[in-house]
Parts: sequence; C-alpha cells; structure tokens
Amino acid sequence: MYAVRKKTIYAILLLSPLVFIFLSLFIGRYHVPLPAIVEILWCKLTLGYCNLPDTYVSVVWDIRLPRAILGALVGGCLAISGASFQGLFRNPLVSSGILGVSSGAGFGAALAILIFSTTSYIYVFAFFFGGLAVLMSYMIGRVYNTTPAIMLVLGGVIVSSVFSALISFAKYVADPYDQLPAIVFWLMGSLASARFQDIAVAGIPMAVGIAGLLAIRWRINVLSMGDKEARSLGINTALSKGIVISCATLATAGAVCVSGIIGWVGLVIPHIGRMLVGNDNRVLIPASLSLGACFMLLVDNLGRVITGSEIPLGILTAIVGGPFFVYLLKKTKGGGW
Amino acid sequence: MPLIELKDASFGYNQQDIFKGISFQIGKGEIFCIIGPNGCGKTTLLDTILGILKLRQGDVLINGSNIQKMRPHEIARQIAYIPQAHSKTFPYTVLDVVLMGRAAYTGIFSSPADEDVVIAEEALALVGLTRLKSRPYTQLSGGEGQLVMIARALAQKTPLLIMDEPTAHLDFKHELTVLETIVQLINDTNLSIIMATHFPNHAFYFENNNIKTSVALMDQKTFSQVGRPADIISEENLMMLYNINAKVVSCHIGSGAELKQIIPISTIS
Repeated sequence: MYAVRKKTIYAILLLSPLVFIFLSLFIGRYHVPLPAIVEILWCKLTLGYCNLPDTYVSVVWDIRLPRAILGALVGGCLAISGASFQGLFRNPLVSSGILGVSSGAGFGAALAILIFSTTSYIYVFAFFFGGLAVLMSYMIGRVYNTTPAIMLVLGGVIVSSVFSALISFAKYVADPYDQLPAIVFWLMGSLASARFQDIAVAGIPMAVGIAGLLAIRWRINVLSMGDKEARSLGINTALSKGIVISCATLATAGAVCVSGIIGWVGLVIPHIGRMLVGNDNRVLIPASLSLGACFMLLVDNLGRVITGSEIPLGILTAIVGGPFFVYLLKKTKGGGW
Repeated sequence: MPLIELKDASFGYNQQDIFKGISFQIGKGEIFCIIGPNGCGKTTLLDTILGILKLRQGDVLINGSNIQKMRPHEIARQIAYIPQAHSKTFPYTVLDVVLMGRAAYTGIFSSPADEDVVIAEEALALVGLTRLKSRPYTQLSGGEGQLVMIARALAQKTPLLIMDEPTAHLDFKHELTVLETIVQLINDTNLSIIMATHFPNHAFYFENNNIKTSVALMDQKTFSQVGRPADIISEENLMMLYNINAKVVSCHIGSGAELKQIIPISTIS
C-alpha cells in the first residue's frame, strides 16, 4: 500500500513538469495549432525535415521550448535549494538566497553591464559573484572549525546587505539611458532571452546541484536535528553541510545567472511541498523540484499573455505566489506548524 | 575489558580548565550517574565522551579503541546520545525521527533501507510507542518525546547510551515511565548507560531495581567521589556538593522492599 502510494507520488512529480512544458508551447501571442506543434516536436526529435512554415518551427522550437525548459530548471533549482536550506538551517523562513547568492549575482550582473556592452559576460559575472558571496558568508560563519547555523545566517545577512549596497552604487554610477534600465530589468528577472545555448551552459551547474541535493536528501533530515545530535547520530556534519551548501549554491547561481533575481519561489514552494507531501526530505526535496518547475512555468506563461508586453517574472512570482500561499495556509490550517 | 574507560581526562577552553583528572570505567549492564551542581561541566564531559569535543589530556577508550581516532559513524555505532532538551523544528513523523538513528549505517548519498525501517519499528516497540509511529513528533507530550529520543538511540544499536538529564521537565508519571523503560532496557538488552542527572534519587531507584549502579559527584572540576549510591549519596556529601541541608530517609514500599530517598531541606547561608 505504502509502496504503491510512493510510486504514484513520484510518477506525478516526474510527469507534471513535462505536461507544463508541453502546454507552454501553445501559449503566446502567435497562434500555432496543436497538430503543427506535435509534428514539429516529432520531426525535430527524430532529426527529420519539417514540412511546415518556418515561423511555426522558429516560434515553437527556438523560442517557446528553450524558454519552457529553462523556466522549469530555474524554478526547480530555486525551490530545491530553498527546501534544502530550510532543513539545513532548521528554519522554515529561510529561502534559497539566504547566503547572499542572489545579491552577489545581482552585483555581478550589474558590474558586467557597466563594464561590457555585450550581454554574454553577464552570465559569467553573475555566477562568479553569486558563488563568491556564498563563500564569504561561509567564511564569516566559521567559528572554531564549526559552522553554527545562526552564524551562517548572520554571515549571509551581512554579505547580502553589502552586495545590495554595491548594486545601488552600480545603479548610481550607471548611464541612465541604457545601462541603468538594463540593470533594473535584469534584477526584476526574466526568461525572455532564453536559447538552447543558455541551457547548455547554465544547465550544467543546475543539473549538478539538483543531482547532489537529490542524492543527499535524507541526510538533510538528520542535519535538521542540529549539529550536536547529527554528529552523535554518526554524521560528519562539516562534510555533509559543505556538500548541501555547495550543491544549493551551484543550482541557485546557475538559475539566477540566466534568469535574474526571482524571489519568493525558494521560500514558498518548499512550504507548499510541506503541506502536500509532509516534511520528510526524502519526498519533500523531489516534490519541491517538481512544484518549483510547474510554478515557474505557470507564472512565466501568465506573464507572457496577461498584457501586450511581458511582465517581469520577479514581480509576478510574488503577486501570484502570495495569495496562493495564503489559500493553502487557510485550507490546511498550517499543516502541523 | 571494561566497555568504556576514561583515563585521566582533562578538558578546557584556552587557559581555563573545565574539568581535569577524571578517570572511571563501566562494564556491560551497568549504569553510571554523574551528579553535580549546574555549570560544573557535566555536559562538557559527556561531549568529550561522544567525541564532539577533543580532550586536552587523557583518553576515552570504548571497547579498547580510542575515541579520538574514530570517525563519526564509528563512534555512533558504539555510543548513542539522548539530549536533554531536543528543540523540534519540523513536524517529522515519529518513525522518521527514530529512523535517523540509522544514519551511522547509511551512506552519505543513500536513504535508509527496508531493514533499517524494521529496526526503527523494533526500537519503537521497545519503548512502547508503536501506536504513535505516524504522528508528528512535535505533537507529543514531553515524556513521549523523550521516549522517542530513547527509541532513536536504540535504533543506533550501540552497547552504550549517554543521557543528559533524561527526565528534566517531566511530571512524576512521565519521569517514572522513562526510569522504568531504562531499567527494562538494561535488564533485557544488557545496555550500559552514562547519565548526568540532577536527581540523586534516580541512583537509588536504579540500585533498588538491582542494577549495578555507580554514582560520581562532580565538584571542583573533577570527580570528588565515586562509588555505590548508598555510600556516596549521604547527607554530608550533599552538604559539600550543593551547600544544602538534606536528609536520607528510608521507607517500605510493599513486599518487603525498601526505598531510600534523599530529601533536600534547606540551603546553608
């Protein structure tokens, strides 16, 4: 009975992002009929020739599909990192950006916009500074060879606020006609420029991070008992924590460097997961990955169709996610909290 | 060979000694109670036995091997720890919490196997909590919560348990439930236990239940006395240890058995 239920849950978790990706191919200003979409997918996947208008192929295969895949990856990464950090820091109010990865990446992107006129450096700089910020928080949080959760969180707060100040400084010195809007829009988050090349580059750290967190997910249960108990239960806490932080940082930095800063997902999706599947990280971690991917696709599709021009993702995640979270809280009456 | 042995153990931070020159040993099926005033270093001593803190001098030997040379999962297969106050964050189910006792037998990138679930369920049955296994452990009473911690320690399948004030914050009934569970475990499985406690009467309780019990008084950064409860827990010793007037009384508790108790009377100013 239990095993059957578990298999059903995993099947739903695996299939729902695929369904959402498929549905995303229909949505947009330019209408492409269902048979055409199926035919494009079929002939592209079998490397055959598509006997369809070029615009159809280009809209579905070059624009909508990479955007949907990237959106699913980004949402999944933010949510899985948030869930892992909540367990690691034993605090349900922690999100994926707690160690400063978002602020660091934001500063990196702003710096790249200031220095270079082309956008390809943005990825590299955002990823590098995102990782650097986490490393700095970790160093600040280290006391006597141990890393107490509260010190790490404080380190993250300090590093985040310093990088936020640096972002403001970058905005202040930026050229107000082209650089400043570029920085502001980047910080609001968007998937509009997604191409298959982006998936190839940023997908590597995201995939490594996701794989690592999925593999170590039961250890997060044990780590959430606190350092002393985890240690007495037989865990090398420094090593396990290091792996969780590294994987979550790879995943988040990979996501942020292609999408910009998208808040809210890393905090709320894990909670929705907790309400749906419980707190055991063996199920919660994969559930967060799947829910994050679906949620991001939902929001991105909304952003594309609500108005004539696109609404930035960071704005919509909060506007859609907030009321949805309140509804779930009321419906489940907090679910054990 | 004793199960666990401390030889001339000392520990301190920087210039300050927390404790020094502590030696003792325990065999199978024995219980060792450490009694001392708040802040005397009991918890620190337990942390060094668990290998969490490194001794400044001396050795901790478990089954003859030095704890400082063992990896965390090796230690956790010999010694299990039951915390004083466990702070609960996430509402895991009772079974999931007990299952964490299997971490020392589970690889870093794996989850517990079906055998581990069986062992966790057996541990829950030993403390009599099988009926609560699917409940969130955040909703349990203090006494039930403590029994879950004991079950988690039992799932570690160790010969030695370390308990830090296992009955703190418990009412009479739950306190007795925990004590009875401990007695039953020692009788059934020949476990050994090291326990820090604020209640000297616990030592009398164990001795009364025919368990080989030793008491150590921790004072002035070392063990001032070690011995049988009847010899150590005396009015004079408690006066020296806590600066209080106390009285040892003895009462019949039916079927010819006699129970010793020490009663605190007043502080000495």
